[in-house]
Amino acid sequence: MSSQRISRIAPRESATLHREHVPDKPLQRPRGRFLLDRGASLPLILPATILVLIFLVGPFGYMTYTAMTDLSYANPDQNGAFVGLDNFRHLVRNDPIFWHSFWLTIRFVLVAVGLEFVFGFAIAWLIWRFVERQRLLTTLFLVPMMLAPVAVGLIWRLLLQGDFGMVTHYLHKVGLLSQSSAVFSSPSLVMPTIIAIDVWQWTPFVTLIILAGLMSLPKPPFEAATMDGAGPWRQFVDILLPLLRPIIALVLLLRAIDAFKEFDKVFILTGGGPGTISELLSIYAYRVNFKNWDLGYGAAVAFMVYLVVLIMCSVFYKAVYWKSAGAAGR
Amino acid sequence: MAVSFADVTKRFADGTTALDGLNLEFELGEFVVLLGPSGSGKTTACRLLAGLEMPTEGRIEIGGTDITGLPPRFRDIGMVFQNYALYSHKSVYENIAYPLRIRKIAAAELDQRVKQVADLLQIGSYLHRRPSQLSGGQAQRVAVARALVWEPTICLMDEPLSNLDALLRLHMRTELNRLHKRLNRTFVFVTHDQEEAMTLATRIAVLKDGKLVQFDEPRAIYRQPSNRFVAEFMGRPAMNTMDGMVEDGVFRAGGVTCKVECRDGPVTLGIRPEQIGFGQIGSEDGFSLTLDVKETVEPDTLLIFANDEGTITVRTQRDCDDLAAGQPVNLRFPMEALHYFDARTGERLR
Amino acid sequence: MNRSYKILAVGVLACILVIALTPYIWMLLTSFKGRLDILSPEPRWFFTPTFDNYPAVFIDKAYLPLVMNSLVISIATTVLSICIGAPAAYVFARNDFPGKEDLFFFFLTTRMAPPISIAVPLFMFFTLIGLTDTIYSVVIAHTTFNLSLVVWMMRGFFAEIPKEIDEAAMMDGRSRLGAFVRVIIPMAAPGLAATAVLCFILSWNEFLYAFILVAFEGRPLTVGIPGLITPHGTLWGQVAAVAVVATLPILIFTFLVQKHLVRGLTFGAVKG
Repeated sequence: MSSQRISRIAPRESATLHREHVPDKPLQRPRGRFLLDRGASLPLILPATILVLIFLVGPFGYMTYTAMTDLSYANPDQNGAFVGLDNFRHLVRNDPIFWHSFWLTIRFVLVAVGLEFVFGFAIAWLIWRFVERQRLLTTLFLVPMMLAPVAVGLIWRLLLQGDFGMVTHYLHKVGLLSQSSAVFSSPSLVMPTIIAIDVWQWTPFVTLIILAGLMSLPKPPFEAATMDGAGPWRQFVDILLPLLRPIIALVLLLRAIDAFKEFDKVFILTGGGPGTISELLSIYAYRVNFKNWDLGYGAAVAFMVYLVVLIMCSVFYKAVYWKSAGAAGR
Repeated sequence: MAVSFADVTKRFADGTTALDGLNLEFELGEFVVLLGPSGSGKTTACRLLAGLEMPTEGRIEIGGTDITGLPPRFRDIGMVFQNYALYSHKSVYENIAYPLRIRKIAAAELDQRVKQVADLLQIGSYLHRRPSQLSGGQAQRVAVARALVWEPTICLMDEPLSNLDALLRLHMRTELNRLHKRLNRTFVFVTHDQEEAMTLATRIAVLKDGKLVQFDEPRAIYRQPSNRFVAEFMGRPAMNTMDGMVEDGVFRAGGVTCKVECRDGPVTLGIRPEQIGFGQIGSEDGFSLTLDVKETVEPDTLLIFANDEGTITVRTQRDCDDLAAGQPVNLRFPMEALHYFDARTGERLR
Repeated sequence: MNRSYKILAVGVLACILVIALTPYIWMLLTSFKGRLDILSPEPRWFFTPTFDNYPAVFIDKAYLPLVMNSLVISIATTVLSICIGAPAAYVFARNDFPGKEDLFFFFLTTRMAPPISIAVPLFMFFTLIGLTDTIYSVVIAHTTFNLSLVVWMMRGFFAEIPKEIDEAAMMDGRSRLGAFVRVIIPMAAPGLAATAVLCFILSWNEFLYAFILVAFEGRPLTVGIPGLITPHGTLWGQVAAVAVVATLPILIFTFLVQKHLVRGLTFGAVKG
């Protein structure tokens, strides 16, 4: 601020400007339509909108239409005749595998996201509370989540190999696994294993975002609570959790939407098997479409997946744009 | 040559009318201050002149050329923003040079011009810095330099001093005054601070609710306010105004009694705090009020009296140590210092 | 008391870190193992490293072109998404128009849409116009979902630049569009770079669209991975080598954009 000290410097003659203060001739009004100066939203926003319309809404519309036909590449007789809501009717009433996949997916989402949230929150809290160089540590934690899901599938297939898998070996040694056999061929173990892998992969996501939320928490409410005599537990329940609520909602929703769409990892790990034990909704939709080539019915299944995600998505939108959500939100 | 606003109206998409038929004309070379409370339309007027907003109705001309609807880059106008709006990714030098680069000025001349204007604003020593390394006052100077370097006909300033601390603000005010005297360039300056307006302007345009209330030299605005609003807006502390009745050439309101030169009937009387005198008890034109609060602002003292109608503030350099709250004090309104306003419309009478 | 808590906490975190990293490290080690070291029933942490797996899979099994495909797809997707998405994001940050927030939400749904639902009709569509089994189809599919990431993320970055900067540039002599291209874009460059890197990562890691749209020509590395797994006699050393190549660049990128990662992953909802 030293240079700001009031100085009285006499004006120097050298610093005169070039032009007269009043121009010798009046401003010329240029001709033209000034296209570059319009407050033009449309040309800038249109390419993106069109691209999405053609390659997303278009396919979606086509899928909705296909879902009402009997199109199948496997059966030459079914060449796409319009069947109305038959596919959906069959899906809802007479397709136990669909319902099996549906409830399996729901359970998968609830358990996996629930565990991820509990672990992720706890880890975030520990880092926030006890670690000074948070950034470095958090970055290391991120590794599982940044790997391609396909690679995650590969890694765990390798680790859980029946005869030489590293993790299988140690689990067997400490007695957690009765026999050193392939985990993925055991009907009772396959889903818990998939959930465990999902937790391994995505807990860092919860940690990362909750930690960001914790670090952006305002101090005054906690100071006021301390002055009011609230202990650590009361502060946690009465101040920290409510302040963090928007971020918690956000994390849970984002994770739930992603988990509901889960495909890559499970496809590599089990392909839905053994039988249909681990056949999540996306994998079922894949099988109907690209193994059975029953495209009309497959479109109906895909439509149902889309519908559920869209509903979760609207909830997400409401949660994010919850204006009263507080300082931590947008 | 002149700049003129003719019946300029600006309505925004949300339905608010920022300017309502503004008519204003001033000569190039002037230092015009647009003054008004927030929401008066002063900033909108400035942005319309800049070309950042387009008027809903009306014409804006510079030197007889209609510039309504013309994009900013064709208007030959520079601007200093309230938050300076420096390009944070460029050095101070490049910030100042930017308008010249857009105009493809040759390197040698560009360098000379940047250094000259930097000299003028005493920022020559931190041309290599980044905007983030500047203090508020320095950033302010860089913004002014950028607006002046390409020597536009008009330089607009939208509340440029309001983000500075008090001392710096005074200093920059003096600097701007000097700059205008030196460069003889047209400045249009927006502010809500009447003191800034008084010290800087060759003429002040007072705006209220999107309309021009008075456009005159600072002295005239202070001495001959065209209505009650201007009278109360100019000067600190504000002019005392009181509603009362005139009977037989004597004004009465609450405990106030004074001789006036005004026709009988209801009237709003105004008097500036520094022009109120002290009277002898029992004298003809004096009256007595009870002192409510005494504030010392060396070398002046503010005496605040509360009566039924409101408060009357007196500003005096007299030694007031003998006065205490609760005491009666005799006051006198000199007739030559009085302002008369229509009790209903607030317009100046005579 | 407080100190012992801290030691306990750091201990717990260290254990978790081991759990988080060991699988990947094991994969890394496996890619340098010979057949016998891999198949040993007792896990071998120390062994004589071999570099045979990499040439075996990338040269002999011709997986190198897949790396090139992945690169081309990811870079093309990123460039396309940024070029189309950034202007839209700028409009969302600056202008007001009726239905703006609805359109904004519409872009979000493109990111959230389950790939399986979109991939099926997209596959039929590309079959129709003869684009299946080409890189273009994957680039287009990836662009649609990356577009929304760009729009959502860049809106936040643009909104952080005061609109007076646009106006200052216009007063300095730029047109409105010129102000965006010549001033706002350079100013938002760090955010733009972070967004681009995230686009690249998402495209590089993506599996399902690519898996359905391209089977042979133009398939990226992720799609090549399942082909290496056979019911019996999978060559894990080679699989690991592919996995390492498929993941290591991404991890390096992650360190680069860690600062903006939270924002990208939450669609700008959390600043991080």
